[in-house]
Amino acid sequence: MSSAVHAESHTVRRRLRVGLAAKQAMFGYAILFPTIAILCIFRFVPMIQAFIISFSKYDLIHPPQFVGLANFVDLVQDPLFLNSFWVSLIYVVFSVLPVWPLSLALAILFNRRLVFKNVLRSAVFMPVVMPAVVMAVVWTFIYQQDGALNTILGWVGIDPIPWLRSSAFALPAVILIGIWRATPYYMVIFLAGLQAIPAEYYEAAEIDGAGHWSSFWNITLPLLRPTTLLVMVMTVIVAMKVFAVPMIMTGGGPADSTRVLPLFIYQTAFEFFDMGRASAMSVFLFVAVMLFSVAQIRIFTRGEE
Amino acid sequence: MALFQRIAASLLAILAMLYSPGAVADTSAVPTEKTTIEIWWHEYGPFTAYVKELIPAYEKLHPNVTINPTILSSADINQKISVALATGTGPDIMDNDASFYLLYYTKGVLEPLNLDVFGAKSYSDIIAKYTTGGLAAATFAGKVYALPYQGNSMSLFINNKEFAAAGLDPKKDAPKTWNDVIALGPKLKIVQGTRTVQKAFDFPYHSQRWEVQDFQPLTEQFGGKLLSDDGKTAYLNSPEAVKALTLWREVTKAGGDPRTTMNTPSNPNQDFVDGRVAMWITGPWATPQVQQSPVGNDFTVVSLPQVDPAKPHTLVYGWMWGVNNAKPAAEKAAAWDFVRFMLAKPDVWLGKVGFVQPVVGVDQSDVAKKFPYFDVHMKDVATGSWYLSSEFTNEITQALGRAIERVVYDGADPKASLDQAQAEAEKVLKK
Repeated sequence: MSSAVHAESHTVRRRLRVGLAAKQAMFGYAILFPTIAILCIFRFVPMIQAFIISFSKYDLIHPPQFVGLANFVDLVQDPLFLNSFWVSLIYVVFSVLPVWPLSLALAILFNRRLVFKNVLRSAVFMPVVMPAVVMAVVWTFIYQQDGALNTILGWVGIDPIPWLRSSAFALPAVILIGIWRATPYYMVIFLAGLQAIPAEYYEAAEIDGAGHWSSFWNITLPLLRPTTLLVMVMTVIVAMKVFAVPMIMTGGGPADSTRVLPLFIYQTAFEFFDMGRASAMSVFLFVAVMLFSVAQIRIFTRGEE
Repeated sequence: MALFQRIAASLLAILAMLYSPGAVADTSAVPTEKTTIEIWWHEYGPFTAYVKELIPAYEKLHPNVTINPTILSSADINQKISVALATGTGPDIMDNDASFYLLYYTKGVLEPLNLDVFGAKSYSDIIAKYTTGGLAAATFAGKVYALPYQGNSMSLFINNKEFAAAGLDPKKDAPKTWNDVIALGPKLKIVQGTRTVQKAFDFPYHSQRWEVQDFQPLTEQFGGKLLSDDGKTAYLNSPEAVKALTLWREVTKAGGDPRTTMNTPSNPNQDFVDGRVAMWITGPWATPQVQQSPVGNDFTVVSLPQVDPAKPHTLVYGWMWGVNNAKPAAEKAAAWDFVRFMLAKPDVWLGKVGFVQPVVGVDQSDVAKKFPYFDVHMKDVATGSWYLSSEFTNEITQALGRAIERVVYDGADPKASLDQAQAEAEKVLKK
């Protein structure tokens, strides 16, 4: 009898627990719902739409016509598209690689005791909070023949460089802004990673006679591995999507030397009114970014496996 | 005799104004029910100020009509209107670069001009009110689909002080040919160390559209053309175009350093008003800006330099008002009526904004007579053709712009560069 009562009370308790868990789950979903709905409406639905439109000929005004893989076949044979993709790749490589060590170095610097640390941190972080359009306009003036950069170069005997009016210099000029803008942002991420490393590890290493370099290689870098992976993946994704700065500063010129893929996608969609082709380019960009990210994650986590 | 001349001139001016396309209206064609219309135009200070004056004036005459304005940057108004038209959110009245209207016509989004509103019996009546070819960029299959509020020439502005500093007389020594421009290069160019502080002349490199605006007349001066009349065949690598680009390169070399410029799409004349370039090609609309700059009134305007002055050829460039055909009939009628109202006083447009409406008799007004070098601008309009027009104007403009930039910035061969542009254009035109 007592065992029957016990079993019944156990069942009741379990039901209550399940009921509570369900209620908590419902509450969680209710809180998440607005975010999920917004993401679906403004992110996933357009992505699916772009994927569908990439198989069609669509000029924005007449209804789309299904053309199968024609847009994709055409893209891989189009020198303008291939040039844009190449420009994007160069931008990614040269704007991303310096950001990793620079942002880490800055994070290590700001993780130490410094005079006016907060003021300096805010100053370094300024490029991140500045709107991209404002920043592009300001840099356009800095890059002018009589601008600040050429004036400084003149002090050390370097002739004025036509930063934005030369096919050779325009892309490096745009890349330099990318580095300048991205470094402080990733510095903050590295800083958070650094601050999560327990101080005891460094104290123990110090007792064992380890120097700064040894601590950096054997404690900091291994423990920053997840943060580093995050930074690497994010920098590549952000760099692949760069748009505002080349759009405002060079419009993609001179002679297409700064026409990165997102800018070409924009022009194809809203200047040439070829949404099908632009969508195909977007799908291509999406796949490329995904492949880069997966490759980075695979390479970075190989040792762990 | 002088009194008679003044009376005759005044009468002529009044006649000219009456003859302007917007002067006569059939008010019965204008809706009487409550109507709200949207108008979008591109930002340019004097232009915006004048249209903002016209809106309340029209609303006062037609209390049932409300006009909502939206002002956009010239850099992307064409794209924004195109996207808005596609998504059903376009304005009733749109302001586009003239070369866009063929594209819009082929897409079927334009409402033909409402003849009743303009009190005209036929489109020929409207066309007759404009200078020869004045409506060419907006007339399709015999119907008029847009009206220009500016049909500008591209003429050569000269900084008198810089000419005088070089021992030149802006009237006597003004270039008539491109070879004259080349010859003036060493006299007007000032280089300090490695810095070019004053260019003799420069083509515009802040925008590919501006590049092609100068390249098209150069090609036509050699007897060629860039596109067939129907806009479906490109001749970008014709011998004439190659000659034009070769000459362009020589003029650029002689003029100074094309890599040094402060021009931007929002201020294409920055170098000229700052005194960085002694000779600059622009339109009459730049006159108020030049007058208000350090250059002041110390400038001269002469006709666009020619390959052969005996066979002059220049370019007409402008913007037009069009009406969205997706709107209800009452809105479309009200929209055309407001366009009529806005364009009714070409002399005021000229005086307040500096825009030349290409209408017959515009040169007879007092304002025109007082406007600096108006005769030169009109002479250049008379020998001009509209900017190239095709369903693919943007792609072809970019292909040509790239060809020019490859030659100027990368030292590419003009023929090879134009061959590449032609291949790109042919691919686009096959779509």
